[in-house]
Amino acid sequence: MLPLCSLFHQFILRALLREKLRTALTILGISLGVGVVVAIRLANSNALGSFRAATEAVAGETTLEITGTAGRFDELRLRELSWLRDYGRLSPVVTGYAMTEPTSATEKKGEFLQILGVDILRDRLLRQYDLLQLREGDREPNAREFLLLLADSQAVVVTEKFARRQGLTLGSTFTLIISDRKSEFVIRGLLRDEGPARALDGNFVLMDLAAAQWAFQRLGSLDRVDLKLAPGVAVEVAEAEITKRLPQGLVIVRPAARYSQMEKMIAAFHFNLNALASIALLVGLFLIYNTVSISVLTRREEIGMLRAVGTGRGVVLALFMGEACLLASMGAGLGLGLGQLMAKAAVQATSTTVETFYLAVVNPGATQPLQGVEGAMAVGLTLLLALGAATRPAFEAAQVAPLEAIRGPERLLKSRQWSWRAPVAACGLLILGGLLSRLAPVNGLPVYGYSAALALVLGGVLCTPIILWTMCRQGDRRLIRLPRLLPVERLLARASLGAAIPRVAISVGALAVSLAMMVSVSIMIGSFRETVVYWIEQTLRADIYARPLTRVTSIAEGDIDPAALALVAADPAVVAIDALSVQRVNFQGNTISLAGGDYAVLFDHGRLLFKAPQDAYDQLRRGIGRDVVSVSESFALRFGKGPGDVVELPTPLGLRPFEVIAVFYDYSSNHGVAVMDRTTYFRYFPAARPSSLSIYLQPGANPEEVRSRLASAVGSRYLVVFNTNRGLREEALRIFDSTFAITYALELIAIAVAGLGVMATLMTLILERRREFALLSMLGMTRGQMRRMLMIEAVYIGAAGQCIGLIIGVLLSLVLIYVINVQSFGWTIQFHVPMAFLAQSTLLILVAAAVAGLYPAARAMSANAAQGAREE
Amino acid sequence: MEHMQSILQVERVEKTYGGGQHGVAALKGVSLEVEAGGFVALMGPSGCGKSTLLHLIGGMERPTRGRITCAGVRLDTLNESERARFRRKSVGFVFQFFNLLPTLTVVENVALPLLLDGVSGDVARAQALALLERVGLSARETHFPAELSGGEMQRTAVARALAAQPPLVLADEPTGSLDSANGLQVMQLLATLNRELGVTILLATHAEEAARYATRTIRLRDGLIEDPYSHAAAL
Ligand SMILES: Nc1ncnc2c1ncn2[C@@H]1O[C@H](COP(=O)(O)OP(=O)(O)OP(=O)(O)O)[C@@H](O)[C@H]1O
Ligand SMILES: [Mg+2]
Repeated sequence: MLPLCSLFHQFILRALLREKLRTALTILGISLGVGVVVAIRLANSNALGSFRAATEAVAGETTLEITGTAGRFDELRLRELSWLRDYGRLSPVVTGYAMTEPTSATEKKGEFLQILGVDILRDRLLRQYDLLQLREGDREPNAREFLLLLADSQAVVVTEKFARRQGLTLGSTFTLIISDRKSEFVIRGLLRDEGPARALDGNFVLMDLAAAQWAFQRLGSLDRVDLKLAPGVAVEVAEAEITKRLPQGLVIVRPAARYSQMEKMIAAFHFNLNALASIALLVGLFLIYNTVSISVLTRREEIGMLRAVGTGRGVVLALFMGEACLLASMGAGLGLGLGQLMAKAAVQATSTTVETFYLAVVNPGATQPLQGVEGAMAVGLTLLLALGAATRPAFEAAQVAPLEAIRGPERLLKSRQWSWRAPVAACGLLILGGLLSRLAPVNGLPVYGYSAALALVLGGVLCTPIILWTMCRQGDRRLIRLPRLLPVERLLARASLGAAIPRVAISVGALAVSLAMMVSVSIMIGSFRETVVYWIEQTLRADIYARPLTRVTSIAEGDIDPAALALVAADPAVVAIDALSVQRVNFQGNTISLAGGDYAVLFDHGRLLFKAPQDAYDQLRRGIGRDVVSVSESFALRFGKGPGDVVELPTPLGLRPFEVIAVFYDYSSNHGVAVMDRTTYFRYFPAARPSSLSIYLQPGANPEEVRSRLASAVGSRYLVVFNTNRGLREEALRIFDSTFAITYALELIAIAVAGLGVMATLMTLILERRREFALLSMLGMTRGQMRRMLMIEAVYIGAAGQCIGLIIGVLLSLVLIYVINVQSFGWTIQFHVPMAFLAQSTLLILVAAAVAGLYPAARAMSANAAQGAREE
Repeated sequence: MEHMQSILQVERVEKTYGGGQHGVAALKGVSLEVEAGGFVALMGPSGCGKSTLLHLIGGMERPTRGRITCAGVRLDTLNESERARFRRKSVGFVFQFFNLLPTLTVVENVALPLLLDGVSGDVARAQALALLERVGLSARETHFPAELSGGEMQRTAVARALAAQPPLVLADEPTGSLDSANGLQVMQLLATLNRELGVTILLATHAEEAARYATRTIRLRDGLIEDPYSHAAAL
């Protein structure tokens, strides 16, 4: 008996090398699957990691932070906090975001910089300042130079990286946009590329506390007070004690809470991306299963021979497991590289979503390369999964009896036997899927929803043989019912496909899974888009919308100066303005928006779509002046609140009870919004400024004209962007489409992987049938007939995949829309099937399948007729 | 005996496989003529070129030199698809192994040449059933080849070879893998069909007992016809 090694070489390696194309297709398929998963992981960790690193770096040695219940608080309150010094050192902080000037007219946004305003002399004790350079060549600033830094309200410290990027140096002047204003700053110091500077990819500015208050126009208010505990003071103890002593309206948090909050919000989004990416990997594993199965099926006789000469079952098992390992490790190795390459694209593709919805800045440059350990884990996991996928065919190989070598034809007979097990299991899985979809989410993640999806998918895959069976119509009467078009080609295609069902079912199943995902995702997105379009149609009623220039991402707060508001109001064409103020606050550990709008204007001119109650408008009217709020659908779902419930909302005066009187549909954000009338809002936030304006014009006024008039009147002094109703709609849909672009990209990759599987299967079938082709050619089958026959087989495969894909896809889309989406984003989506798109993609898939059949057909025809006849 | 019209003329045909020094000369200048309705046995030791000659006559390969005229058609003038059509209409084949498509039923296999020629399913089926009746396999109509015995497979192959009603049937050791009883049955079948339907049969074999059914024997050796006079003698 040969040692395992040389057996592996002769039996597995040679076969793999002989069928180079199929081997390459399999490896490519796995590597694509692994690559997508790695890319999405890297992109996700970029979004989280850059935020976390930035928070940590900026926090320095801060152990605890004091902040207002509703965010900012009055600096006079510091006097109530003098007792805090017993716990350690304090440093008050003003922070926010500024934007560099857009580099060109077409560019809408510049780079975002995090500004940290601190009392530098005090702050030195909390944060590292040894990285600071204040003069050419000199790295150790002295106390006098620090003081000088304070003297000038324009003085800032920027990072070396940023300065280099912008072509600035010590003493240079540059412009930053904060809210709706431009401000000039002078670089008085440079921060070396370590610590905070590095974490934020250089987008970090340090300035004096008072200068920051001035720049943000928040005189007299602080964002927080950072506290570095004295040595020997335990964090838990201090936190508990301080919490007890803090006066009304102030709270204590750990810096880490900020990113864990953000992680919580983004978790569902990342979970969904991971789930989608895993489909490609799953399909890749199908490929392994497929390849090993085919290699077992086509070599039963050889295996029988091996067994006959005394090879043990264990050795046969090891051989085929080894094949799976080899394919998987090569695929995974390639996939790691591919993943790194695709990661950048994935970051780009998800950046709009992350920035629009998740209060985070994306730094494409900050993508971390894959760590060695992570890489090894990815390869290990792929190997493990591949072994799992290969288990069944490998055991099947081990079961081959030594006698099998001489019982060739039995194989063909076996494949015609019909088993009821698959359909029964399929029904069971479909029912299980239905049941699972009724369960509640776990920690806000639609775990059962995805389990339901998985059950449906597996159920669908199990239906593959039945569908193929029906298509091939195995039966005695098929000669009588021969189709009119291409009868003989179709008869032959059906016959050979029908005989190969056990072999093709697996790859058709994988194709069906990918197509089902494509169908379901496109139904989901199509439905979502329809819903959003309807919502926009119904609720975007103002003629012009205005926002401060910096409000292009969710992190930049920004507001509009009252003087700018007055300029807008003074325009003769303007009838009414709904000025919406928005404050981001922490509610039960989640970030939500607390907004104040003008209900009177909303009643007269605007419109909201309410989910509940029926008489929402009457309720709202009656609620004016009282402590009531209407909340967005995602707020209602996330916190389980509806009309009549009372919520304790954070205000500068502490937590206050508000009655929820209505729930409205809102697709512009999913982090939860509570809106109150301005009369109520200003009682709690008297200093609030509008964050956006909805401007209603006189009937007959030309919005485009008014828009440019307002832009020139206001734009010379304030950086306010005016959008017409149409412009805003277009922008909203643009954001919508770019948000979902990645989904389509992931799906296309999964389909490509499945396509590779089908190709590989077809190639194997063709190789097996060389003698048949020779016989057919001798019987006078023309090349055209043969090519058409093989293309028809390919089309049947594509059609079976698409048929199952459509059925499962529709079921999946129901789960996506009514379970997963609601559980992870809190949005109601109206079910809508994009018929044209589905019809078009079905056609495309059939054409693609036919084209995919061309290469195997060419290969088949190269088999010479006489050659085949001699091969015995 | 009337002088009958010849259905096949092979003139100075040579066939060399591969080029250059390593080329194998399978046929070195073979000429023969077969009259319509004849039953000719082609005999000779293994490797003498019997199969090669049948493949050339059947239009599956082209001769290196020489000319073949079969059923009034000069094979060298045909292009690829015309050859396919020629094989479909003018010759039927029976081989030693693998005559039938394993994925088609017996009746479908027999009907295949007709279907390839564009005959409708019903008509092709009726004709195939009639032929199966002739070869005594009506009961096996819906079986798959794997469910047949070796003799039944060869009889099905004979039926299939006759389906398109070709004037010429080429049989390459049709009994080679059968036991003597089954081989006998197949040979009797071929002889009956030759007699009753008037179809010309060219049979390659090295079994003397098979050749006994033929009306004439041609012997090949090393790519050449052994005794050119046997041609005249047989007439
Ligand atoms: N495709 C080919 N390439 C090279 N040589 C070939 C090829 N086909 C046949 N030959 C050679 O041509 C010669 C004649 O072969 P052929 O098959 O015609 O013999 P045969 O008389 O049918 O023998 P058998 O009785 O064993 O079937 C042999 O030497 C064979 O090796
Ligand atoms: Mg031969």
